[in-house]
Amino acid sequence: MHPPHPRRTPRRAALLSVLLLAAVTACSSDDGAAPAAQAKPRSGGSLTYAAQQEPDCWDPHTSAQDVTAFVQRPVFDSLVYQTPDGELEPWLAKSWKTSEGGRTYTFELRDDVTFHDGKHLDAAAVKANFDHITAKATQSQYAAGLLGPYKGTTVKGKYEVEVRFSRPYAPFLQAASTTYLGIASPASLKAGADKLCAGTDSVGSGPFKAGAYTRGQKRGYTRNAAYAWAPKDAGHTGPARLDGFTIRFLTEDATRVGALTSGQVDAAAALPANQVATVRRNARLDVVTKDVPGAVDTFYLNTKSPLFSDERVRKAFQRSVDLDALVKSVFQGTGTRAWSTLSPATPHSYDSALEKSWPYDRALAGRLLDQAGWKGRDSEGYRTKNGKRLTVVAPVYGKASVFSQAVQGDLKKAGIHLKLAASTDATAVSAQLDEGRYDVVETSWARGDGDILSSFFLSTESSEGGGHNFAKVADPQVDTWLKEAQAADSPDARAAYYAKVQKWTIDHAAVVPAYVQQASVGVNKKVHGLRLSLSAWPEFYAAWVEAGR
Amino acid sequence: MTPPHISAAVRAVTARAGAAVLVVWGAATCAFLALHLIPGDPVSAIVGSNALVGAEQREEIRHHYGLDRSPLVQYGAYLKQLATGELGDSYQLQQPVSSLLADQIGPTAQLALWSSLVAVVLAATVTVLTSGRSRWPRRVSSAVELLVVSTPSFWLGIMLLTVFSFRLGWLPVSDSGDARSLVLPVITLALPIAAVLTQVMREGLLGALEQPFSLTARARGLAEHTVRSRHALRHAALPALTLTGWFTGTLLGGAVVVENVFARSGIGRITLQAVSDRDLPVVQGVVALSAVVFVLVGAVVELLYVVVDPRLRKGTGVAAA
Repeated sequence: MHPPHPRRTPRRAALLSVLLLAAVTACSSDDGAAPAAQAKPRSGGSLTYAAQQEPDCWDPHTSAQDVTAFVQRPVFDSLVYQTPDGELEPWLAKSWKTSEGGRTYTFELRDDVTFHDGKHLDAAAVKANFDHITAKATQSQYAAGLLGPYKGTTVKGKYEVEVRFSRPYAPFLQAASTTYLGIASPASLKAGADKLCAGTDSVGSGPFKAGAYTRGQKRGYTRNAAYAWAPKDAGHTGPARLDGFTIRFLTEDATRVGALTSGQVDAAAALPANQVATVRRNARLDVVTKDVPGAVDTFYLNTKSPLFSDERVRKAFQRSVDLDALVKSVFQGTGTRAWSTLSPATPHSYDSALEKSWPYDRALAGRLLDQAGWKGRDSEGYRTKNGKRLTVVAPVYGKASVFSQAVQGDLKKAGIHLKLAASTDATAVSAQLDEGRYDVVETSWARGDGDILSSFFLSTESSEGGGHNFAKVADPQVDTWLKEAQAADSPDARAAYYAKVQKWTIDHAAVVPAYVQQASVGVNKKVHGLRLSLSAWPEFYAAWVEAGR
Repeated sequence: MTPPHISAAVRAVTARAGAAVLVVWGAATCAFLALHLIPGDPVSAIVGSNALVGAEQREEIRHHYGLDRSPLVQYGAYLKQLATGELGDSYQLQQPVSSLLADQIGPTAQLALWSSLVAVVLAATVTVLTSGRSRWPRRVSSAVELLVVSTPSFWLGIMLLTVFSFRLGWLPVSDSGDARSLVLPVITLALPIAAVLTQVMREGLLGALEQPFSLTARARGLAEHTVRSRHALRHAALPALTLTGWFTGTLLGGAVVVENVFARSGIGRITLQAVSDRDLPVVQGVVALSAVVFVLVGAVVELLYVVVDPRLRKGTGVAAA
């Protein structure tokens, strides 16, 4: 016996799916919200921000992650404030002076600052923080390094504190402005490394107090109503405008962007390049962008490797990549081609004279390679010398980026084989770096100070010693310039030394700077005043949201 | 003197517990070996790439985590910790691993239990509904099952999010504290499991319906749905139960994907983070925890066999089907 309507089920299923599709398309068109008519800043309300990454350790004195500095910035103030333009101005310190030729910094502190636990900020509190950063038990991965040739801190008066270095150290003021050297309530520092890292015991003096934190999900922030010590150019004075805000950790790009476009979060970090245009087209959303300062994404050529110890081969490599075209096609306007290791956004140190000074020139590269003996060609079109293929080994941690692969493809046209040796094993990769078994390393490092060059080019900053001198530059002249820059007393004098270093590394083809990274934050138009700091992370202090939207 | 069947039961329980300890020990040892055979310096993994750390401090870190001891000593210390339920401190999060796992197991257990429930109910319902005499429902269902099984759960999750959260706005994208946030993750995790279970159970159910006892039941005047759901389904459930190991593995592995796509907290989230950071203590902790879960699930399933199949109950004799 046959059932009465054998064909009904599939037909109904088809009908259902058509209906579902129609519903989806109906909802997908943007309901263009009316533009905000010059709304006035208001206090109150809250917002939700979707971050791409969650900190491992929440203690800025311990962690080396820039996301830690970002999520703790609203909680911890610093002695010095760096404006989005890179200028340094008083914050917890009213004023400061240097003595002994730049070896000693004396800070005059504000006398009206209280921590979230009600304790008062004084010189002893600052000393307790520097002691905590440099204590062995803290296992600081970055903050202690930022202190450079640090010797000690002395309490000179109730509100006067002195920080001493073994040699002149000009980068200290900028370092003191970062969250890594943020000032926490001394009582909270006694909680122990596990509590501080867990992010549940963060007590600072910032405009927001740390609220509830659920690992893998979100952290809340509530307004510090007593806040009255904002730096001059923070964009606002007194207590923050927002009652509070929440940072949610949405690590999947698709999830984060979807949450933003559907209005479930008010702002989202790290928009993927291919999504920026989509978000811009959305009438309810804006995209805020800023160049990231510090060391741009750069290829550091191992000047001691068998292949690249020949400067001609390094120069050929430098001129073989059509960076203008590659950066444009890969980043679609969300990154720009770099000419120096330093980003133009790095205050008082970028050397703009390098722009257009080493253009793409494959003919020149070919001649250089011919001179160096790489004359043969193998079956795949790569250059060879004594039957050996011209292979450039590049260790890659994780997966090779789309950009690296594009460079690989471009180099093939010049007969150079870029071998992207990808590994997900951090230990194996770092062993390879320590032992110098590579020709090139591609990396970037954000910092709002030209002293980042010291981490990459001082001869003492070798990889096995924990440094980043991947190009293995060991030049007494470069060392002197970098040391002189650290000791120089004016920003202009420092800039002159950094310009020399930048030019030297290009002229000797120790580097191939590739692109300047751009931070792209998607923001709902109901949110105002959410500006990006110098290091291109959002600042929540002056932000506010329109009521009823 | 104890009656023979009680001492037999004690022996069985002891053997079972011994086997369980062996399984956990084996898994923990494999994890230890695998992670320590990888060449290179674990201190570099702890420090990460963008750090300013001097040589002296690297030694301090090495000493702090006991990495300066011989592998054998480290293994001994690890087993000792494991026996006491302590799992060491995470390299990256700098928290005790045991408290970290204890904090995160709640959301994952909630997700796994709801997904299991939904998968089983869905599979049983679809099995009963599609094992009638008409073939069309069965064919449609088979096609859908194949489609669901072959869909990567990552993609399935993103599609569900796109439709029901981003476009229609019916459900929140991630944990908002209410039950609605559980719907999409549970569906993502349950659908592939339900699809496989349905395939296995329908096979068993159709076989059971051909058996003489089904004829007897029908002859006793039972309605068709009662025959299927009360009698034949039990037979079909037995082969499905043997899939529990696979089922548990899918839940644990699926949690990694689902928790990341839906931005939920839980074991899966920290597992992914720990593996990519080479956070050995956390990875070892997760492996040990998974082994314990497998052992526990195995024990529960043995009990379930008895519940489902009366023939396995001692002393009840052969009950009427």
